[in-house]
Amino acid sequence: MNVVLAVAVVGAGSLMFRLLPLVGATLIPDWLTVHAARAAMAVLAAMVVRTVLSHRDDGLAGTLVTAPLLAALAVGLGLWLAYRGRSVLVASGVGLATYVVLAAGFAALP
Amino acid sequence: MHTVKSHLPPPGEQQIARIRKHTSSPMRAGDWASGARAVLPAVVAFAPLALMVGASVGTSDNPLAAWLSTWTIHGGAAQLITLDVAQQSGWLAAATAGLLVQVRLSAYSTAMVADWRSAPLGLRLLAGVVLSDAPWALAQSRSTGRRGFYLGAGLALFLAWPAMVTVGTAGGDVVGEVAAAALVPALVIGCTVATQLRQRPVLVAATAAGLSAIVTATASAGVALVSAAVVGIVAGIVAEGTRGRDREAASS
Repeated sequence: MNVVLAVAVVGAGSLMFRLLPLVGATLIPDWLTVHAARAAMAVLAAMVVRTVLSHRDDGLAGTLVTAPLLAALAVGLGLWLAYRGRSVLVASGVGLATYVVLAAGFAALP
Repeated sequence: MHTVKSHLPPPGEQQIARIRKHTSSPMRAGDWASGARAVLPAVVAFAPLALMVGASVGTSDNPLAAWLSTWTIHGGAAQLITLDVAQQSGWLAAATAGLLVQVRLSAYSTAMVADWRSAPLGLRLLAGVVLSDAPWALAQSRSTGRRGFYLGAGLALFLAWPAMVTVGTAGGDVVGEVAAAALVPALVIGCTVATQLRQRPVLVAATAAGLSAIVTATASAGVALVSAAVVGIVAGIVAEGTRGRDREAASS
C-alpha cells in the first residue's frame, strides 16, 4: 500500500508541476519565465555537481576521493569542449573516454 | 555634468524580447525530426539509469503500480527515491522525497510559458506531459522552431524511457557495476547546459548553484536542488543588476 500511495502522490504532483504553468500560461508574466529559466539552469548545474561528488568506482583505490576527482576532471573537460562549441555527442564522448582512461591508469598504479 | 541614459534595454528585457521573437514561429515536421534526433544521445545516456529504475520497479512491493508511475513521474531520480524510501518508511516520507526532486519541473514549465503561450491548449498539455530535463535543456539552444524541436525530443524520450525501464524490470540492472555509466547522464545534461552559459546572468546562476550543490552535498537530493534553484535565481538577479549598472556607467 505504501508504494501505491507514494507513486500516486508523486505522479500526480509531477503532472501538476509540469502542466499547471503551461495551462495557466496567460497568467504568467515574462519576467517570471526569465527567472524560472535561470532557476532551471541552476538546478541542472547542481545535478551535474552532485553526480560528480557522489561518484564511486570500486575499481579505484582510495575511491572516496579519487573517483570524484577523476569524474570532475572528465566532466570538466566535456563541459569545456561543449562550451567551446563542440557537439554534445563529441563533448560527452571525450569526457567519458577521459574518465575510462584515467580510471584505468589509476587502477593500474601499484 | 550630464548623465546620458543608455538607449539599450536592460538585460532582462533583452532576454524577454529574445523569447518573444521565437514565440510565433510555426511548427514544421523537420523541427520535430531534429528534436527526436538530438535527444538520441540522451536516450543512450539514460539507459543505465532506466535499467536501474526498472530493477527497482521489479523488486518493489507493488511492481504494477511502480511500473505505471513511470509515465506519470517521468523522472528516473524521483522514481528511484520514491520507491527506495517507500520500502524503508511510510508513503508520506516517500512522496515528500519524490516531490522535492520533481519541484524543478515547475521551473522548466514556467520557463516554457513565453514560447507556448499562444499555442492551443492541447499542444500545451502535450508539452507538459512529455517535459523532462533533456528535452527542455536541448530546446534552449534553438533559436527557431523551438516548439516542434521540443515536442520531437520530448516525445522520443517519453516513448523510449518507459521501454527501457520495462527492459530493466525484466532483465535487472546489468550495467550498474560499470562506474563510468553513472557519469553519462551528467555529461550529456552538463554539455547541453554548457552551451547556454554565454549569457552572464545564466553563467553566474549556474556557478552559484554548483557551489550550493557542494555545500549541500550531504543533504537529500530534493533539498539540495531546491536550494540550488533559489541560489541561482538570486545570483542571476545580482548579476543582471551588476551588468545593468556597468552598461549605464559605460554609456554615461
